[in-house]
Amino acid sequence: MKKYLVFLEQRDGIVKNTSLELWHKLQELAALHHNIVVCGILVGGVNLQQLAAELFGKGVIYHAGDERLMLYNSAYYAQIVAELFQREAFQALFFADTILSRELAPKLSVLLHASLLSGTPIFDGAGVDCGSVRPVYSASAAVSFQPERSTRIYTVTSFLKSENTLSTRHIEFKALEPHCFFDVDNSFPFIRRVVMLEGVQDLTEAAIIVGGGRGVGSPEGFVLLEQLALLLGGVPGASRAVVDEGWRPHSEQIGQTGRMVTPLLYFACGISGSVQHLAGIGSATTIVAINSDPHAPIFDSADFGIIGDVSLVLPKLIAALQDFLKKK
Amino acid sequence: MNIAVCVCQVPDTASVIGFVDGTRDLSRVNEVMNPYDEYALEEAVRLKERFSGSVVTAFSVAPPSAKEMLRKALAMGADRAVLVSGTEVSDPYQTALALSRSLSSYYANTLPDLVFCGKQSTDFQSAQVPLMLAELLGMGAVAGIRSLSTSAEGLRAEREIEGGVESYDLHYPALFSVEKGLNIPRKTTIKSVIEARKKTIDIFPLSLDATPFVVMKTITPLERKKKCQFVLDEKELIRLLGEERNLL
Repeated sequence: MKKYLVFLEQRDGIVKNTSLELWHKLQELAALHHNIVVCGILVGGVNLQQLAAELFGKGVIYHAGDERLMLYNSAYYAQIVAELFQREAFQALFFADTILSRELAPKLSVLLHASLLSGTPIFDGAGVDCGSVRPVYSASAAVSFQPERSTRIYTVTSFLKSENTLSTRHIEFKALEPHCFFDVDNSFPFIRRVVMLEGVQDLTEAAIIVGGGRGVGSPEGFVLLEQLALLLGGVPGASRAVVDEGWRPHSEQIGQTGRMVTPLLYFACGISGSVQHLAGIGSATTIVAINSDPHAPIFDSADFGIIGDVSLVLPKLIAALQDFLKKK
Repeated sequence: MNIAVCVCQVPDTASVIGFVDGTRDLSRVNEVMNPYDEYALEEAVRLKERFSGSVVTAFSVAPPSAKEMLRKALAMGADRAVLVSGTEVSDPYQTALALSRSLSSYYANTLPDLVFCGKQSTDFQSAQVPLMLAELLGMGAVAGIRSLSTSAEGLRAEREIEGGVESYDLHYPALFSVEKGLNIPRKTTIKSVIEARKKTIDIFPLSLDATPFVVMKTITPLERKKKCQFVLDEKELIRLLGEERNLL
């Protein structure tokens, strides 16, 4: 029997969608292979009833709900996860790839002496984890990694597609009493303050992104992109060039030195399509490129393309979209 | 203050990574300092300039060819550099272990006040070494900081998270992995390059007894090419996205 532990990341008492998706993907795996057991760990206060209503699958979710654990603290979180992992003899720990897990996973790798792999996890015919695959060198190559240790940690950026749909709901919550010492020395570094941006959907969780580059022409030109994004229920994104110019904030930057995004639909407006930018949108399902240069490299990576000036194309696109949505 | 900066080499962005028989061909590759490490180095040097008497030491686990990169670190303002050599590191864990051993030895089993690392290297982008190093050294750490304020008593760091910003309070000693935009790295001048020649690069021989935690099994080139369907009419595009692909 192999036991997998899924870290369910919460912020402000809400479990992140990426964690829920990961839970469900692993539960699908467990449904196929009866020697695989998937459990979860949740640190910080969460409305368990609400959570239970969102979850499918079968397994135990360990919950450390102490108030002092609400805000992320690397020392406490690592200790709680490590303790449970060892006590219940899990084989592998899974995280959705987030800012938090990028900090916590390496720490746990050392604490647990576990192989740390990131990307898309690979499972063998018996559902046992055996490594991961991910892009490197600005997504010009794919590397497969193999764990050398018997315990493993995965930070999952994407999952291989599965056909299963879960219908069982058999989640058991077990309270975890952490043995960590909530003392001053242990608590550093601690979060003094978290400022959340109002109503902003995070780029890495957005299904639709409208990205803009130098071809947008000016900071004012981005108003059209924001309008399109709003209509689509998506978010704006930016290339490195316009962030460097100061037209858009760094939090919107997509690419090798910005964010890696996985939207279903990505618009590249006035973006030439440098290797570094493409590395950030590699996993986008459908890419639409709008560029006045017919030889822009972006067209080699796009599903659909319109050759034209962004400032002329977008208003027409927005009008066409408004018509389409009205008819729906 | 003792400030350590961990730097590494990566292929520069213009380099072409070749593939021969399923392995990497790095013969046409030009190695440069990892861009994120420049921000780390710049931050360290600025702090040295603020807190007089501070010493900045750059560390790198790399082959002898990295000496040129370390000279650049010295030209940017590091006082000393250490090349950790004699050990083949093939995964982030081994790299972190080698760094922790060399730092421990260099600082005579005490901890430097600050350690700066680039958030990740641009080639493999694991973003694992800095936090592994912090854990091995037993230091508090924050990953991916975009701003840092220091006083004699403590530290305040900020980093972006999904949809927001976190502010941290820490004590010394602390390790930071830095995000692009933390500062604007200075350019080296002819004068600084000449002065750098007077500074020392220590060679720290290290043989690691530890095996890697992860090995690279295969590497294959990725084909990015898609077949682009050009559309003349915006209405047609909306129709394709909405009706054919069901995305709207």
